Amino acid sequence: MAEVSKTAQNGKPSRRIGVGAASGHHGELVQGVFEDRHGRLHRGLVTLPLTRLVSTATFTYAATPELTTHPGDKIKAGLAARKTLSHLGVAAGGFLQIQSNIPIGHGYGSSTADVVAAVRAVAAAHAVRLKPSLVGQLAVAAESASDALAFDEHAVLFAQREGAVLEDFGGSLPPMLLVGFKAVGGRPIDTLALPPARYDSIEIQQFRVLRALIAYAVRHQDPNCLGRAATASALLSQRHLPKQHLEQVIDIAKGAGACGVQVAHSGSLLGILFDHAGTNLRQRAQSVAVSVRSCGFHDVEFHQINDDGATW
Amino acid sequence: MAALAPNLIAAAFPLMKLMPARYILDRAVADGAFEAGMRIVETTSGTFGMALALLSAARGYRLTLVTASSLVDANYKARLDWLGVQMIITEDRAGNGDQVGRLKQLEHIRYEEPHCFWPRQYDNPGNALAYARLAEQLVQTVGEIDCLVGCVGSGGSLCGTGLFLRTVFPHLVVIAVDTHRSALFGHPAGKRLLRGLGNSILPGNLRHDLIDEVHWVGAYPAYSEARRLLREHGVFQGPTSAAAALVARWAARSRPSARIAVIMPDEGHRYAGTVFDDAWLASLPGWPCSPPSEPRELTSVEPGSETDWTWLKWARRSLNQIVHDEVENEGHSQ
Repeated sequence: MAEVSKTAQNGKPSRRIGVGAASGHHGELVQGVFEDRHGRLHRGLVTLPLTRLVSTATFTYAATPELTTHPGDKIKAGLAARKTLSHLGVAAGGFLQIQSNIPIGHGYGSSTADVVAAVRAVAAAHAVRLKPSLVGQLAVAAESASDALAFDEHAVLFAQREGAVLEDFGGSLPPMLLVGFKAVGGRPIDTLALPPARYDSIEIQQFRVLRALIAYAVRHQDPNCLGRAATASALLSQRHLPKQHLEQVIDIAKGAGACGVQVAHSGSLLGILFDHAGTNLRQRAQSVAVSVRSCGFHDVEFHQINDDGATW
Repeated sequence: MAALAPNLIAAAFPLMKLMPARYILDRAVADGAFEAGMRIVETTSGTFGMALALLSAARGYRLTLVTASSLVDANYKARLDWLGVQMIITEDRAGNGDQVGRLKQLEHIRYEEPHCFWPRQYDNPGNALAYARLAEQLVQTVGEIDCLVGCVGSGGSLCGTGLFLRTVFPHLVVIAVDTHRSALFGHPAGKRLLRGLGNSILPGNLRHDLIDEVHWVGAYPAYSEARRLLREHGVFQGPTSAAAALVARWAARSRPSARIAVIMPDEGHRYAGTVFDDAWLASLPGWPCSPPSEPRELTSVEPGSETDWTWLKWARRSLNQIVHDEVENEGHSQ
């Protein structure tokens, strides 16, 4: 990495225009506090990425120190680009353009996706490929709390306020179908304005088991264990940012033989997770769609997770 | 972790109580309840005391243990002495563990030296909380678990592990293993041969409302099972662990599609001169006896002998509810 940066410092970048992209997400599978390898507790989360939602950043090198961003309200993406330039030791600025189809608010991670895309675009424009861990750190530096989008489909337990990986689960999430929807009266939420949740000692201990479930689910590609962890995390989150009708959604999921229920812990999204290999998947997914609509949920969508584009 | 059957995983500990002892001490240090130089005092019949002794030796803490003459053998006492533990042993003529006398002694020590730390394993919620780590390890190893089997002494291991597992597996069946003449699930307390499970008093860490089934295993079936575990599985655990394994193997047979986990709290070395010694066993009245292959189902709480193995559908009731329900049933049958 240092060698490539030196090339950039010499003013001979191999490319002048860099493009970077990052996915949005459907909130978290779990969120809580977790031990690092020294036994210290950190706030952490496991993100549920959605590849259909994408933010694309284009960075064009300019020999002036100014950095301009378009649209002009993508302030954090601009800040991330500036931090990336200084990491690369580049004094020059450029022009950063963000294009995104990720809805703002609700918990789709639009802001982090912009930031991660911007970091990648700036790096690409200077012919540098940054490790996901560094992209994650730069993202946190730019927006103070960030999701784990820098790791794409690779499952990690990410300390969202420090940009550190608490555990690398060593693979991707198992193939699933997600039936996603928005809460009753769900309005965009300013994630960073929410006070951090305070957990009691029972919850702190319970998160150990949730972490173990995710580890098992990734290691053995077991969507059921993933769903168990997600449902428990959604219920634990009720004390902090309650979702109306969550119990009802859990009952609907159970009735349709789904693996579990997942929420955006600081957003208004909920989702029902199905094993992609299950039988009558379409029928069961459509039946829960009807049920959650009649509960008053809206914007029901089907998302394929890590299924390699398989038909369902 | 050892697989005792295709659907049965055993968490076989050399010394399970290290888990709650470490958690309770760490928490007490963190929240200031236990400060440098303070003495630790506890009443214990065995393994929790040994865990405290090992941690105290490693960390330089001073430790006083109160135990009863019926509970501590010479080898165990020698190990504790060697670890630098101050031992206070009450005379226990009734042979029931003298819990009351031990608590009185403990009160006296705390009166004499008020600036000391009492871990209170029976009532300290940290005892149960510590077992999230066991729930974590079980899930790491086998994923989904449908049924948990474990002995009850303080209630910490079974209720703690059960609580944390049931949060993620709401259908989890929790099976408690007790022994006859233990007060935990409604027997009148009396002299018991099995140590490490059962209790003469009701500890705060026992949550009756988490328990689906209760088994009462006598000493003899537990001894037979301890020997069988060693011969047939190469698992060298004490008779308390064996009582749990006996029940767990039955649960695994009667629930072939369920994934079962069993907690086995301590290893067999302490019992080399007793349970694993043919001459000692032969000296027991009524030994050898053929162990029951199935437990006898009860419809109400009733004490049995050291050769009996009985069980009751507890159905997550409180102890008061059980007593109340039994009075009701008697009323109907009259």
